[in-house]
Amino acid sequence: MATFHAGIAPRLEDVRDEFDRLWTSLTTAPPLHGWPAAPAERPFPAVNVAESDEALVVETELPGLDAGDVDISVAGDELVLRGSRAGRPEQPEGDGEQPATVTWHRRERGSGTFERRIELPVAVDATRVEARLVDGVLTVTCPKAPQAQPRRVTVRSS
Amino acid sequence: MATETQTELTYRPNVDICDRGAEVLIVADVPGATPDAIDVSFDDGVLSVHAPVPARTLPGRSLRQEYGIGAYRRSFKLGEGFDASLISAECRRGVLEIHVPRLAAVRPRKIAVRTA
Repeated sequence: MATFHAGIAPRLEDVRDEFDRLWTSLTTAPPLHGWPAAPAERPFPAVNVAESDEALVVETELPGLDAGDVDISVAGDELVLRGSRAGRPEQPEGDGEQPATVTWHRRERGSGTFERRIELPVAVDATRVEARLVDGVLTVTCPKAPQAQPRRVTVRSS
Repeated sequence: MATETQTELTYRPNVDICDRGAEVLIVADVPGATPDAIDVSFDDGVLSVHAPVPARTLPGRSLRQEYGIGAYRRSFKLGEGFDASLISAECRRGVLEIHVPRLAAVRPRKIAVRTA
């Protein structure tokens, strides 16, 4: 679960932006993208799962992570995703004359560690699980164990 | 003939906005966006971002769908005093970073107070 939370008191701009957010949520598609700063009621990260004849595929969005930041394992009937994202303590960008200050106007992107366990409805071959992480999208392909694949039955005519 | 964007499914990316004095830094989570296709524009004090996301579907039938896939759009009212010609942006690992430098003349200046 994300462990970062914003501790800034609400200001007028924030109230205005709440209305903007409300309007946007009414006029655009459902949210839960990226990594929310506040701990969400829903499990994190959100996943999409699909099943074909050959494999189970699990996809999730992990912006900012590369292969070394995520740990994927299959144990029994569970796929376990673990990882973490570091927060950024921004340094002031001065140029000699500037006061060296950093002011955060928004902190919506969270950071911290996560662990998500996804139940696998069919047996998979753990030795052949593959994962790709491209542009912040993680795709885990779990080939089904031979006994879980659909069997084609030959119909004999005599 | 496809018409642009008004009916496009869009999402509002989470952002961090940091004022570092000489520049404002905006960091947005845009997983799945194609870096080359991201459009960042600055007009009349408003920075606009549009990051298209190629459609992607998982093979087979869907068992669980906890998030949708679509382009990211968001605008930020930054106001005056920024040098639009020096705006730079980079997108790596699904994270977009936009640097918006202030014009040199309007940067906050520290004034030394002399004692008599």
